[in-house]
Amino acid sequence: MNEPELIKGIQQGDHRSFQTLVETYQRKIVNTCLGIVHNTADAEDLAQDVFLEIFRTAGNFRGEARLSTWLYRIATNRSLNHIRNKKRKGFFQSLEETFTGGKNRNSEISENGNDQPDHRITDQQRSDFLHRAIDHLPEKQRVAFTLNKYEELPYQQIAEIMEISLASVESLIHRAKKNLQEQLYECYRKKCV
Amino acid sequence: MYKTVQVFVPNSVKLKTTKEMKCKTLHKDLIFYLDNELPIEKRKEIERHLETCADCRYFYSFLQAEMQIIGKEKNPEPSPFFFTRLSARMDERPDFRQQSLWNRVAQPAFFSLILIAGIYGGLRLGSHASSGAIHQTSSSSVQLLNDFESEPIESFLLDE
Repeated sequence: MNEPELIKGIQQGDHRSFQTLVETYQRKIVNTCLGIVHNTADAEDLAQDVFLEIFRTAGNFRGEARLSTWLYRIATNRSLNHIRNKKRKGFFQSLEETFTGGKNRNSEISENGNDQPDHRITDQQRSDFLHRAIDHLPEKQRVAFTLNKYEELPYQQIAEIMEISLASVESLIHRAKKNLQEQLYECYRKKCV
Repeated sequence: MYKTVQVFVPNSVKLKTTKEMKCKTLHKDLIFYLDNELPIEKRKEIERHLETCADCRYFYSFLQAEMQIIGKEKNPEPSPFFFTRLSARMDERPDFRQQSLWNRVAQPAFFSLILIAGIYGGLRLGSHASSGAIHQTSSSSVQLLNDFESEPIESFLLDE
């Protein structure tokens, strides 16, 4: 089934076409969401939201862009929204903890980490620091970097997904790498891993 | 007027300063070196520096290990129940339920027919009922008149 047939099928509410779409793009969309939210369960939930949105709004798809571009665009937007909501919730949670004297989440994580074998701590810590470094990037740099590093998309397609010029993508990824290296160098200097 | 003062800088300090400067410059390019995005001359320069500078070598290994994390965690194994869970979520919401030809065309047509038949039947029943009511009214009035004639109140009172 080619792309226009797939779209037509979904627009007509055909569940078989929808299933084909999900099976074709599931891994890519989960991977993209994972690159931004860094949690597999959250990434899967977000990917499902992406497919539900596609099924609901398929009638609006005019075929001007590739289907994958549309999917990646929704996936990155939803992932960024998820992070914004999480930050907002985290802010209110920390306020609540300040007033109620609740347990700090970071201390919980480190306590749990102590139960793991040594080599896993190192891997987990490495992973945590990399995620923190990626999370410190401005949103556009993060999206461009994730699409390039996690999905290995060419700059041209990233430009289409983000609706910016090719030169802007190049600049965003260059700056993202520089910022990431600075963050990682700080970590190296402080011997955080 | 300013006095010119000559300061003696030992060679070891000079070397250290240039080495530090070089390390800092190279640190900025290491991530691009890792991604093979540097011109060949710059690559060779970095390789030469890495051979002589242990600190940069350690940082390079650290950076390499960090970037390899991306490779390890990307493309997770797809969940076998992904579509099942997605279908369950769609079934929970009425706007995502599958609409067959019966649901989309025949069902509204069937219910429209029932509605039209109901309205028609109602009108027919209504017209029958109204004609019957007129007949009933006239007959009861006749009956009343007859009752009145058979048993007039005035005459009954007069009889008392």
